[in-house]
Amino acid sequence: MATGRYTSDLDTGDVLGPVEFKLSTFVVREYCHGNEMHHPWFQDTDRPMVPPTLVHLQKLRLYTHSCPAGTGPTARVHVEYDATCHEKVFAEQPLRATGRVAQRYEKRGRTYVQIEIDLRAAEDDRPLITYRDTVIISYKPATAEASS
Amino acid sequence: MTILQPGTELRAHPRRMTRERMRWYVDLLPTVEADDGRVHQDVPTIHDDDEFARSQGLPGIIADGMLSTNWLLSLLMDAVGEDALAPGSLRTRYIAPVFEDVVITAVARVTAVETDPDGSARYALDLWCEDAEGKKLTVGDASVRVTGSIAERARAPRFLVSA
Repeated sequence: MATGRYTSDLDTGDVLGPVEFKLSTFVVREYCHGNEMHHPWFQDTDRPMVPPTLVHLQKLRLYTHSCPAGTGPTARVHVEYDATCHEKVFAEQPLRATGRVAQRYEKRGRTYVQIEIDLRAAEDDRPLITYRDTVIISYKPATAEASS
Repeated sequence: MTILQPGTELRAHPRRMTRERMRWYVDLLPTVEADDGRVHQDVPTIHDDDEFARSQGLPGIIADGMLSTNWLLSLLMDAVGEDALAPGSLRTRYIAPVFEDVVITAVARVTAVETDPDGSARYALDLWCEDAEGKKLTVGDASVRVTGSIAERARAPRFLVSA
């Protein structure tokens, strides 16, 4: 297991969470505003829908829970977002997120980490979003890091 | 008859990837995590600090890929409304960095349409974000199920004119 320190330590098979939480109306509106998604079902209702892309930031919640020392020595670069949305999610809905490191692998001198996040309704374990996130642990190839 | 057929291409209005747009996204990370009704700022990142970006081997700040993903999702919502959110899927792959002030156009092209027994339509789309020269920087695909009439949504006025 490589949880407990930096996110850059994460290895295949590591489990992050689960964490239970709600996304407030405030953060849903703020997220949509920051991405210029000014659609009425986000901004003009008392019960906004949650854009499925917001699941990506639950990775940070899982990182904070399982890797409290932070990012590590180098910046991550996001490579791929891949989400399957089973049903709509709403602000203030009780949620549970669990992460699992599906793969850690090397490609052209860079280290890739793929995490699968399973977002469910906390009340009855209904699947809401299944998300696969792929990042490069360090933008610099290992050889460049060694020489810098 | 649906107005979205295989080959139909939807193009958003071009947007410049300004430093401000990059920072708006960066500020969302600690703000969403804190979720206390206030906007938060975090440590320098490759998306808002040139010096830090250069220290990581980049020529300058680059946009978070999720901005492109959200602009593509926004285009789908403009086309089919909240049905773009679920059920369905969305995948985006960031194949080239988006640097400051690059003009980005989000594009969706319908690749297939199927009608379900309940009358809803299931659309498959290729997605990409391109720069002003047409170079693709983000690519992906989506599947959306639409329950209402796309024609009605498309004809819905975005504003009202009164005398």
